[in-house]
Amino acid sequence: MRNIGRRDFGRLALASAVAGAGVSAGVFPALAQGANPIRIGFSMSLSGGLAGNGRAALAAQQIWASDVNAKGGLLGRPVQLVFYDDQTNGGQVPGIYTKLLDVDKVDLVTSPYATAMIAPAMPVVMQRQMCFVTILGAGVNTTFKYDRHFNMNVVGDNMKETFAKGFLDIAGTLEPKPRSIAILAVDNDFAQRAAESARFLARQRNIRVVYDRSYPPSTVDFTPTMRAIQAARPDLIYIASYPPDSNGILRAASELRISAQMFGGGMVGPQLAAFQAQLGPILNNLVNWDIFSVEPTMNFPGVTEFLTKYREVAAKEQTDVLGNYIPPYAYAQMQVVEQAVKRVGKIDQAALAADMHSQVFDTIIGPVTFSASGEWAHERNLLVQFQGITDGDLERYKRPGAKVILYPPNLKSGTPRAPYGTPA
Amino acid sequence: MNANFRFWLGAAGLGLALVAGLRLLGNDYGYFAGYFVLQYVVLAGAWNILGGYAGYVNFGAAGFMAAGAYSAIVVRQWLGWDLIPGIFAAAAVAGLLGLGTGYLTLRLKGVYFSIATLCLAVVLQTLVVNWDYVGGSRGAYIIHARDIPPFNSYSEMLFIVMLVLAIGTTGIGRAVEMSRLGRGLQAIRDNERAAEAVGVPTLRLKLVATTLCGALMGVAGAPLPYYSGYLNPEAAFSLAYAVNAIAMPLIGGAGTWAGPVIGAVLLASLQQAATVTISSALNLWIVGWMLVVFVAVAPRGILGWFRRRG
Repeated sequence: MRNIGRRDFGRLALASAVAGAGVSAGVFPALAQGANPIRIGFSMSLSGGLAGNGRAALAAQQIWASDVNAKGGLLGRPVQLVFYDDQTNGGQVPGIYTKLLDVDKVDLVTSPYATAMIAPAMPVVMQRQMCFVTILGAGVNTTFKYDRHFNMNVVGDNMKETFAKGFLDIAGTLEPKPRSIAILAVDNDFAQRAAESARFLARQRNIRVVYDRSYPPSTVDFTPTMRAIQAARPDLIYIASYPPDSNGILRAASELRISAQMFGGGMVGPQLAAFQAQLGPILNNLVNWDIFSVEPTMNFPGVTEFLTKYREVAAKEQTDVLGNYIPPYAYAQMQVVEQAVKRVGKIDQAALAADMHSQVFDTIIGPVTFSASGEWAHERNLLVQFQGITDGDLERYKRPGAKVILYPPNLKSGTPRAPYGTPA
Repeated sequence: MNANFRFWLGAAGLGLALVAGLRLLGNDYGYFAGYFVLQYVVLAGAWNILGGYAGYVNFGAAGFMAAGAYSAIVVRQWLGWDLIPGIFAAAAVAGLLGLGTGYLTLRLKGVYFSIATLCLAVVLQTLVVNWDYVGGSRGAYIIHARDIPPFNSYSEMLFIVMLVLAIGTTGIGRAVEMSRLGRGLQAIRDNERAAEAVGVPTLRLKLVATTLCGALMGVAGAPLPYYSGYLNPEAAFSLAYAVNAIAMPLIGGAGTWAGPVIGAVLLASLQQAATVTISSALNLWIVGWMLVVFVAVAPRGILGWFRRRG
């Protein structure tokens, strides 16, 4: 018990220090570097369930601020980040954004990480007609239809018809042709949309759905579920899960020696260094949705330099040590803001939104354009396969070859290997 | 001037002063922070009716609050009605839920009753997660108008609604305390068998208390989707509501009408201040430490501590 207490206290102290640093710079402008900084406000999950990704995103955004300030700032003014911990609690978000806009009087706002935190910020941001660049939201603007909302997410406008396309396209190249699929998804927004896409596209391709179930987020034992999937003998297993479940599902699959022509889908978790270290060879041949991989086809200008900087601070900040998931997108999110402000030449929310709608953004994750709804104009769901994984050594994930890109074709860096697991 | 009149006059005066003060302050953040504090005044006051007076500890506050929030969403989606009808619907649904819970669980006492209320929240969450009409696991969106005349802003309207609910809940708590109902509940808390032996209708009183407690918790939750514009099951059934609903009356002084108000204002203000000054990671840490300190130093809460010294 004492160890747990200390660890928790350590995390708390770190989160306090990180948030305190940001807030103190916001509360006491005298601490801000230089005169009249451009202040960018946001809430971020630095504690609670989404803290792992939230803290990694914050580290990337701080690197961006440091890079911009080292080059003389934005419009000749230093950049200052003002952020608060939303505790992964959507109920905190409206208050935080009101404080940022009405009391702190920030010049620009960006979003916290993921749909459940972005959506509660939307009414506040819309009321003040601010331009809002968000990160990894899923269909938030479908309801709000706000013309100054821009989302940094590879899924694009039509998740139903595109999200599982890569998985099934790759399956289509295998011999013998897969004829059945099992779909398992956690009861949350992202996973249900992913499962809907798999269901829709499988039927379109005459792949029989032999198992289709959801499970509550509190599930901890996946052995019965995986046994049921095993009993259905599917050729393909498509899982849409969140980090704690992904771990349980993969471990259960390994213990039950489940094998399929392809296993994976839309699992969130295997993208993170902690999973890769823990699961090691269990990940071998897993074909999974992703947003970034250090393959030569994704070596966009600036990304290697960013990852080097990020990995230097990651250990100190106790965030994801590799930074191959959220961090490049968090940095790119701020690059979008930076490039729009530079082009417009002033802080004018309407002009910034017009610029974001019409221009191409050169970022460390490649060129980005936005559609009328503010999603990426062209979806770029990656399907990667873990190949040649023999242990939990993370060094291999810093080099090409461990997480090979199979889809989309223009970023493809390898060929699929089948099956997943040891055939019975 | 009798005590009741003085109470309502004082509460109305305080409410008007708060609204006037926030209008003078002139920014929306004051309304949001005020709303945050006042929702806990309602929740803590509701918990106090069953937990404080009758001694039945309800761990399912988040479940009742979420029932209220989702009732408001259903009323809006089904009938297109707005916040105020939503609050009445929330009171009715959560009140009935409280009554049903009372019938089903009041044969249970002590820790068994508490566990049953906790289970109720889990059952409700599972139901909501699988109910697509209210958004299911994806959550529900509430798009509201930017301005609501005659209020200065939408957030001012929400604040005033919650202020009225907080005053109403406190008034109901006070009325319960001063009535035969309150005295009966206190007798149940002290010794239920003895109370029954001397003619206190224990089952009826407990059912009234669970219904009232449930209805007021539902009322606390009804404006939640309007406040955040989006509500998903994780946010609606947040553990923070259940923890605060218990901690606030205990710190302020459970079993008194003023105790939950003092506890809620103190704790929620501290949490809100921590959110925007140091770090909100301290929120539950503050609650935990205050509970430890008060259990050790003032087990009857702030009011009990002052009364003992007096």
